[in-house]
Amino acid sequence: MVIAKNIVKTFKLSRQQKREMGDGFQGNTIDAVCDISFTCQPGRVFALLGPNGAGKTTTLRMIATMLKPTSGSISVAEYDTVTQSQAVRENLGFLTGNTGLYDRLTPNEMVRYFADLHGMNSVDYNTRRDHLFALLDMEAFANRRIGKLSTGMKQKVSIVRTIIHDPEVIVFDEPTAGLDVVTSRNIVHLIRDCRDAGKTVIFSTHRMGEVSLLSNDLAIIHKGQLQFNGTFEDFQNQMQTSTLEDEFIRIVEQA
Amino acid sequence: MKPILTIFKKEFKDITRDRRSMMMMFIIPMLLFPLLFTIAAVFTARQTEKVRTKTLEVALITQGNAEAFREILLKRDDLKIREDITEDIIPQLIRSDSIDAAIRIDEQFDAQISDLQRGQIHLYFKSSRDMAASRNRLTSLIRDYENQIVNDRFQRLSLDRTIVDPVQVRRHDIASPRERIGKSVGGFLPYIFVLMCFMGCMYPALDLGAGEKERATLETLLVAPVSKIQILLGKCGVIVLSGFASIANSFIGFFIAVMLQREIVARILDALQGMFEISSILLVLSLCLPLTIFFAAALMSVSIFAKSFKEAQSIMAPLNIIIIIPVFIGLLPGIELNAITSLIPVLNVSLASKEIFAGTIKLPLLLEVYASLIALAALSLYGCARWFERESTIFRET
Repeated sequence: MVIAKNIVKTFKLSRQQKREMGDGFQGNTIDAVCDISFTCQPGRVFALLGPNGAGKTTTLRMIATMLKPTSGSISVAEYDTVTQSQAVRENLGFLTGNTGLYDRLTPNEMVRYFADLHGMNSVDYNTRRDHLFALLDMEAFANRRIGKLSTGMKQKVSIVRTIIHDPEVIVFDEPTAGLDVVTSRNIVHLIRDCRDAGKTVIFSTHRMGEVSLLSNDLAIIHKGQLQFNGTFEDFQNQMQTSTLEDEFIRIVEQA
Repeated sequence: MKPILTIFKKEFKDITRDRRSMMMMFIIPMLLFPLLFTIAAVFTARQTEKVRTKTLEVALITQGNAEAFREILLKRDDLKIREDITEDIIPQLIRSDSIDAAIRIDEQFDAQISDLQRGQIHLYFKSSRDMAASRNRLTSLIRDYENQIVNDRFQRLSLDRTIVDPVQVRRHDIASPRERIGKSVGGFLPYIFVLMCFMGCMYPALDLGAGEKERATLETLLVAPVSKIQILLGKCGVIVLSGFASIANSFIGFFIAVMLQREIVARILDALQGMFEISSILLVLSLCLPLTIFFAAALMSVSIFAKSFKEAQSIMAPLNIIIIIPVFIGLLPGIELNAITSLIPVLNVSLASKEIFAGTIKLPLLLEVYASLIALAALSLYGCARWFERESTIFRET
């Protein structure tokens, strides 16, 4: 479970960033996330929606302990992200859209590296590795350098790297951004599988199709503020437009 | 400790598969000295031979004087004497390389010499050509001729030559060959080692900091259950290893170079063997270790701050020059290892290495150098760790 309570994240602006904000902007800081609260339940998929620059990535980075909230608190699998960050990371998997992989390693080496960082023993690692490699049909390229793999193959390596330690909470930051249909489908399947396995899944996106396909709960965030937070059914019931996309745009424009 | 080792092992494997880093770690340091020595030796030998054997074409205008000197010149096989050239076209012929040099003897030369006065011989040459070889060869012949005249004069006057040469200086250098060569070669070697060490650290630092940011792999690493200090230590360990390997390989390269050019360095080989005792090498390497840690931490700080590989490279390139300045100061005459210079990073390594190779290092100063280098390494690592902890450093683009 993930519980975010009144989280705020303020960034100090550099001189260049202030200039980019325009003449009308006053002050030296900007609130990327303002007083947001939400809960993500195990066995459910929580979608975080918002246009570019809304604060989605900042929120997910705070959940993943990469950033500390300026105020408020987040608990992941009952651990506090600031005071128990190591325990949070032990129970978390994090996958971004722009697959970050080491081109000079092989999938086997890459996955082993992250398993070692998570302190997995050899028996657990081998069992889990064999299961995931078979599931995603990865054995054929398990010993090829990652730099020589296709985008789809790389995405599979990323997926296995993210869940090799069988985390309780999995965060996907725009996981399908820039991917083709086939590779995107792998991600969608993975999210479903994780949900069915009782994991807490959070994913950020701006593709409404994925939201309707996957989410049980959703939050819409714009300019760092929460515009909607509830179940997908609640969202559908209170729609004032005919499509999900139109409704999303209406909420964002109204904010 | 285990996560540090895991990160170290992974980064080491990754770096050893990177051609650029391997070039900086092994190929360049090992080849630098042999290449430098070979090129210098071949070039010097070729030039010396060329200058020595070349037949010089020399215009001679005696105006009926210095017949003995003319005879000397005409008898030489390595000179082609031309007496058909007039004074006014000499500069033009030399400038156009039609002749190599010209000798003009004053009209009153013989009269002045016989009156025990000073006669004038004019030597025309172009110093920008053939490293002034024509001037040197002809000056030497003129000196021989002058010597002959002086001897004649002493004989005529029945005088002993020692009358004009009352003081004879006999030099007794107490410094051993090891000290003499150690102070010169020992100053030059750190110049190469420090540069190699810096370059050896630079590429892995670029790859493990900015490169990781650029590839978007840093985020995934930050979400692993390891602390930032563990990540940093694992990465810095590989950078230090790479920098240190560059120094060690430079040493190996130096020995290969000495072995390859045995004839040329035969004169100093004994001294070199004394200089490069295993204890001297180990001492210098042990001085380089904290310096390498300092470089690794400083370069890692730059690398992790930069948004991209390119930005990190543009910041690091000028640092090369900054690093070289203290080493260069160490080569200047009069700069010695003392209580103050022992505290100046890089300069202290340069000066201490010189003393170690010369066998004249004093223990208290050596300990001071160690202490200052270890303190510097510790401080830079601490600073780098603090820097790495800052969100604004890691997520600078946000």
